[in-house]
Amino acid sequence: MIADNYLAHTADPRVRKPEAATGSPRIEEEIIKAIQDATGNESFSLKAPRRIEGPVDSDRLHTLASLIWSRVGFQHLSAISCVDWLAEDEFELVYHFWSYRDFCLVSAKTRIPRETASMPTVSDLWQPALFFERDIHEMFGVVFEGNPDLEKYILSDWDGPPPMRKDFITREFAHDHFHFRDYEPDWDELVKGGYHSNRGEGGTDV
Amino acid sequence: MEKTITQRSAWDKVLTKLQKRSLWMLHYCTGCGAVELPPTMTARFDMERFGIMPMVTPRQADILLITGYLSVKTLKRVVLIYEQMQSPKYVVGFGSCTINGGMYWNSYATIKSLDQYIPVEFYLAGCMPRPEAIIEGFTELIDRIGEGKANSWEDYYKNYEFYRKNQEHVFGTIDTRTDIPDDAKYFKIGEVEK
Ligand code: SF4
Repeated sequence: MIADNYLAHTADPRVRKPEAATGSPRIEEEIIKAIQDATGNESFSLKAPRRIEGPVDSDRLHTLASLIWSRVGFQHLSAISCVDWLAEDEFELVYHFWSYRDFCLVSAKTRIPRETASMPTVSDLWQPALFFERDIHEMFGVVFEGNPDLEKYILSDWDGPPPMRKDFITREFAHDHFHFRDYEPDWDELVKGGYHSNRGEGGTDV
Repeated sequence: MEKTITQRSAWDKVLTKLQKRSLWMLHYCTGCGAVELPPTMTARFDMERFGIMPMVTPRQADILLITGYLSVKTLKRVVLIYEQMQSPKYVVGFGSCTINGGMYWNSYATIKSLDQYIPVEFYLAGCMPRPEAIIEGFTELIDRIGEGKANSWEDYYKNYEFYRKNQEHVFGTIDTRTDIPDDAKYFKIGEVEK
């Protein structure tokens, strides 16, 4: 059983053993029930030991996040991931909340339309969300309302469309944007006198 | 007395002879190929026997080693570093990523050929080149410096506009704080307009 293997890894007596890992799925059930009672959302379920997962409406996500945040132990928003479902014309945002006390991961999945992709921020609850949201905004173009800083992050000189969207053809972009070296079969003759770029032969404009 | 850089006096010959055995290398290790440098520098292949040693600042370095892929963002830093270096300077494109994009050939973020942005003295092919290849390349460079043929750096002064245009195409204008036309005047190379 996975939980047993997990125990073997945390044989350190200083680590407080999570109840869930001792074989009883009590804590998971408790969390699922808390979500159900507070938000009326019955779709959260146990996917694997200590892995809870479920869909949530985009307008209810912040309520759910506050609930999870207020539960002791869930100090950690470990990631927000974004999936582009091109055929369904939707983005899926997955929020991963991790509890250091219960050793339990709650993944809340929510879908938003691609054209008007916007979401209320959760950075008021977890500060690291500022960066996750900024990154998703840059790569997918999702707007996070309430996030104070959605400036360029990694792609500082970027002026194209958000590159991680599935309808962004990276190959075409690269071909339009960068200079590609022509294949030069006599390259070893060329390099003997020092390498010179093929500037003179019309292949110049990048 | 007027003298161009390509006319080699006896003094120049002495100079290059001394220069070729004292090369300081600045390695810009953004790419994966950088892991081949420690064995090249240390006891096994011992680069120091050729007079090549790592240097920590661009101002005192002769060789700029670009060890792999460059994203547009890092290219900007490379141009800054390159312009800070004192001429004569030699850029080494290390690995196929600098030659034609390598395995990142269709990436939206990396440049595909380094010599469009700064002049490259030579490329080391391979993904990644082994220390033997690096040593081979450097001995060739030493020979070429001795013969006074390693002058790709002059190209930056001669065709500054070309390089500048390509740089601006990918990351816009930057103020590098280096007066290239003035440097060109000092070396008596070409007519450069800013
Ligand atoms: S040429 Fe190969 S080893 Fe070098 S940076 Fe590119 S992928 Fe990495």
